[in-house]
Amino acid sequence: MPLDTSSYSLALLRVDGRRWNELRRINAQIRTQAAADGSSYLEMGHTKVMCVVTGPSEPFGPARVGRTGAGAGATAGASGGEAGVVVSIVVAGFSSVDRKRRGRGDKRIQELQSTISSALAASLHTHLFPHSTISISLHVLSQDGSLLAALINAATLACVDAGIPMTDYVAACTAGSTSTYAANDESADPLLDLNHQEEQELPGLTVATLGDSDRVAVLVCESRVQVSRLEGMLAVGVDGCKQVRAILDRVVRDKGRKMVQEGTVQKGVGLEDMEVD
Amino acid sequence: MASLKRSVDPGTVGSNISSKVYVRSTKSGKVQKIVREVYLRQDIPCSSRLCQACLKSAPRDAAGRPTPFVLSEQPAGTREFPQGHYLVPDTNAFLTAMDLFEQSSAFYDVVVLQIVLEEVRNRSLPLYNRLISLTKSEDKRFYVFFNEFRLETYINREDGESVNDRNDRAVRKAVKWYGEHLARSAARKAQKAPAVVMLSNDRDNLRKARAEGLPACSLAEYVNQLKDGERLLDMIPETQDREVTEGKKKPGEHLYPEYFSMSKMMTGVKGGVLHQGIFNVSPYNYLEGSIRVPAFPKALLILGRENINRAVDGDLVVVEVLPKDQWKEPSTQVIEEEAMTKNENPDTEEGSDLVSEKERKALQEEVKRTQAQKTEGHPIPTAKVVGVIKRNWRQYVGHIDQSSVSQSSQQGRKQDTVFVIPMDKKIPKIRLRTRQVAELVGKRILVTIDAWDRDSRHPVGHFIRSLGELETKAAETEALLLEWDVQYRPFPKTVLDCLPKEGHGWKVPESKDDPGWRDRADLRDLLICSIDPIGCQDIDDALHSRPLPNGNFEVGVHIADVSHFVKPNNAMDAEASIRGTTVYLVDKRIDMLPMLLGTDLCSLKPYVERYAFSVIWELTPDADIVNARFTKSVIKSREAFSYEQAQLRVDDESQQDDLTKSIRTLLALSRKLKQKRLDAGALSLSSPEVKVQMESETSDPIDVKVKQLLDTMSLVEEFMLLANTSVAAKIYEAFPQTAILRRHAAPPKTNFDELGNQLRVKRGLELNVESSRALADSLDRCVDPANPFFNTLVRIMATRCMMSAEYFCSGTQAYPEFRHYGLASDIYTHFTSPIRRYADLVAHRQLAAAIEYEAVDPSVRSRGKLEAVCKNINVRHRNAQMAGRASIAYYVGQSLKGKETIEDGFVIKIFSNGFVVLVPRFGVESLIRLRDLHDPEPQAEYDAENYVLKTSGSREVTVELFQKVRVRVTDQKDESTGKRGVKMDLVDTYGR
Repeated sequence: MPLDTSSYSLALLRVDGRRWNELRRINAQIRTQAAADGSSYLEMGHTKVMCVVTGPSEPFGPARVGRTGAGAGATAGASGGEAGVVVSIVVAGFSSVDRKRRGRGDKRIQELQSTISSALAASLHTHLFPHSTISISLHVLSQDGSLLAALINAATLACVDAGIPMTDYVAACTAGSTSTYAANDESADPLLDLNHQEEQELPGLTVATLGDSDRVAVLVCESRVQVSRLEGMLAVGVDGCKQVRAILDRVVRDKGRKMVQEGTVQKGVGLEDMEVD
Repeated sequence: MASLKRSVDPGTVGSNISSKVYVRSTKSGKVQKIVREVYLRQDIPCSSRLCQACLKSAPRDAAGRPTPFVLSEQPAGTREFPQGHYLVPDTNAFLTAMDLFEQSSAFYDVVVLQIVLEEVRNRSLPLYNRLISLTKSEDKRFYVFFNEFRLETYINREDGESVNDRNDRAVRKAVKWYGEHLARSAARKAQKAPAVVMLSNDRDNLRKARAEGLPACSLAEYVNQLKDGERLLDMIPETQDREVTEGKKKPGEHLYPEYFSMSKMMTGVKGGVLHQGIFNVSPYNYLEGSIRVPAFPKALLILGRENINRAVDGDLVVVEVLPKDQWKEPSTQVIEEEAMTKNENPDTEEGSDLVSEKERKALQEEVKRTQAQKTEGHPIPTAKVVGVIKRNWRQYVGHIDQSSVSQSSQQGRKQDTVFVIPMDKKIPKIRLRTRQVAELVGKRILVTIDAWDRDSRHPVGHFIRSLGELETKAAETEALLLEWDVQYRPFPKTVLDCLPKEGHGWKVPESKDDPGWRDRADLRDLLICSIDPIGCQDIDDALHSRPLPNGNFEVGVHIADVSHFVKPNNAMDAEASIRGTTVYLVDKRIDMLPMLLGTDLCSLKPYVERYAFSVIWELTPDADIVNARFTKSVIKSREAFSYEQAQLRVDDESQQDDLTKSIRTLLALSRKLKQKRLDAGALSLSSPEVKVQMESETSDPIDVKVKQLLDTMSLVEEFMLLANTSVAAKIYEAFPQTAILRRHAAPPKTNFDELGNQLRVKRGLELNVESSRALADSLDRCVDPANPFFNTLVRIMATRCMMSAEYFCSGTQAYPEFRHYGLASDIYTHFTSPIRRYADLVAHRQLAAAIEYEAVDPSVRSRGKLEAVCKNINVRHRNAQMAGRASIAYYVGQSLKGKETIEDGFVIKIFSNGFVVLVPRFGVESLIRLRDLHDPEPQAEYDAENYVLKTSGSREVTVELFQKVRVRVTDQKDESTGKRGVKMDLVDTYGR
């Protein structure tokens, strides 16, 4: 039994050696699946997810049009005038410590799907694609906390890769607090980017913002925490989202630069700031 | 085409990320492989005040405050390290000698490595907690260095390297880094760097460290360099010591059977072949233990040294049931360790047989007896201990066995081996090696057990400290508090800082606009009074009653509003929750809350205004509740009565003032309440309670009185019960999952088997234990016209068959389990004594939230936290009772000192070689052995079926159970425990 989160106060170090305001290592790639319209792979620490986007395309069947909450995933904004965003999540059985099967009807997964679906629908310019569907399938390969945040980030990257017009990146991360609700510790520090152990032991929330702004696109808090601590947590979370956005942005630009170098794409207008050297 | 494999490129992704992989097995036996990230960094400071470099990168918390540096600029030096030194102990050093590190004379400036902290936590949570509190103490200067997160000190486990070896290497690496780092810092300042010394008792580790040129010492070597080294040397556990100096002992003959491996025990327990439980030693026979396991309705017996196999009272052990032909009856003999092993020599330990001749004889007689009485034949399953899952060793108070001290050691200062006899008779003698025999003989000392090897007859321990001369008041009181784990140190400053600034000058604010008055009822004009024992300073409760126009009565119980002063989660609250209860000793009170609150600001003293929490009922003249109301209030008590004063006033017909009338009303109502309770099946139990009278000046005990029961006591009790029950219902309604309640489980029927049988055989009485009502009725029928005390005697014995009541959190039990058996109440809590009980304080907070006086504090809503609180206060409550009783027993002994009285007593237990007599006059019971009857010891015949012991030979008497006898009561210093206690001699058996 290694030390737990209660040892934070000893040296202001978290269970994995981070400080309160540090993100875990984030690694991301886009265009991992050449055949797909858009694809991405993202690691936040040991949380690993991949995403494939199909569309915007015609709905698979006439029945799909205009239906919300379609069978395989959650749909948002799927009225006739704009594209529907269908999100489906598959959690691999080997992704957590205990091998666990999760069925399609799992309520937690459904909730994740609808959260991501509505968050992306707000940022994607779905009105440009009436009568069509944007289908986002997410695969969870490994879980170590901040799952929702990782899924949102991966989906954002895949949508960028698919070339779907969007307002800005939807970047997400989690924030927590160093002591439990019951401990009611006034001097608790906020924490950025919780791993699995911290998620288990401490209160936390997931926040996503739109690009560099402070506009919150997603805010999910499922644990009990004092209102007085919430503000600090949220501030740290929003700050983390900006860091995440910068990382995602760099991934996209690096890939773009490489593609221009390789000649896969032409350097287009509006890409002046993407220096090719 | 991109491939996922490329994502982690070892070249570019810094070398500062590593991962920790370990395997753990869950409770259900599954094995899990856990992988965790480790982020290595370079900004973890060394925390030495010498160092400038680290100061720059010192970590800051979210508010931007840096952590102050801990280690002193000029640490103390020793002979070998005159320039000063920092200590870096390894895990074993902490595990074996935590007492040393807590010394105030040495062991400053200690670096606790993260890996060491983790290992300590794995091995022992209590030691981990002690270590954490050391790191928090400001003057000890303990610093936790997270070596596993610092790039320079992190190491990877190599192929074929064991985890332990890897951790040892990590410690050496950290020591090395520290040394080099400090040398650099000191050089910059042109100063001499302090040495960084590794402390270890692992020979291998020491050797490797020296080979690497690191300063390293074993504990003994280090302590020897200190000024008071000799004293401290005794505190180094002996086994460890031996490991370093002598190495492993040659495998000789083992005295005890080997324990099973952990996995074998676990599979056995799972498969139902082995059983797990807490091992208890019989108070009368140290060679007999019992263990309760779920698979058997009655406790399993464990007989003899070999079967007990080094288990100590309280250990969590695994046992194997013996074949049926080895089942026996519980012993009817008294066997005291002291008498059996008197002449043992502590030095020549190894060679001797496990079971001494004398012990064997005693056991054989047992066997003979059981075999002779085949007719009776209720053998109980016996078992043997095959392994210990968790030791429950603590620190024990005892004294050195005078007879184990050799003549030479009286003068010299050479190390000597002696026996320590613990005060608790259930604990075996402890072998101790010390250089200070001469100083320690005749003192109360604190020791701890280190180990009990297979080849050692007695456990081996080490000395911690001396409490003072035997039989001095200070030493005995401290011994008692230590034995019952009562926190008796003065309140720390952090706690006192939580008190109101005004101190004794605090008053209820005059203006009603003050926030203190918010939502408080003004009850100052009510005729409220308090009734308590004489000299009571912490007045928790006060009462009032007044007639209502509709013929009903308004009755109010007003409880000190402690939760106004003790806010959740501050230092005072934390301290109170650890203490759990105030402990009352004969001459001393150990408070749960600081004096200022307990005896002044909270205490409902007369003639002054005080904050209170009131429960106000409307009762019909038949004492039925019409309604109940809860409110915070301000009261002004008119008078603080003692029980006796109140009684006099009520009985005095000439007193017709309103206050007296209201007490009479209360008294009348309380009688009706009591009758209702008894009708519902409440038990009236009994325990022999006495009160020690002290001389006021010297506080020497002069007399012992049996406590008198007055009507006014029952008055207060009834209304407190009523208040507790009403509050329990209210907080359960508001917090169905987290209300703090108190329950008293119905005792298992088997508990009464023996008493029922005894009553049937001796008096032809039946004990019906179907329900509490049936039990109460059958107890009422247990009367002996010739002996008015008989009923009380049976009640005393029945009380000992009961379960103990306990606090619990309502979510942990089903509603039917809430029942309080003794009070015959469906739901119950403690609300009425918040000054002296922590449970009441929690109930106050919950009630305040339930009536929406204040917001719910998270701590009274978190079930996990409340469960922990309940667990602690249950233990504390029990310990406080035990300490109180032990204190009375001590003073009863003192009051009898040099006196000799002849008193009536009753036989309450019979053995084949002795019997136990209870003397109600002093509330003491004592064993009279056959050999106490006459010298030489008379022959005896014991009829176990009829509970008769008949002696013949040198003295002829017949003793049977429940019999009234005359005994001579004198005081005697009990050689085995060193306690002054009561000694009884049989004078007369009233014509039998």
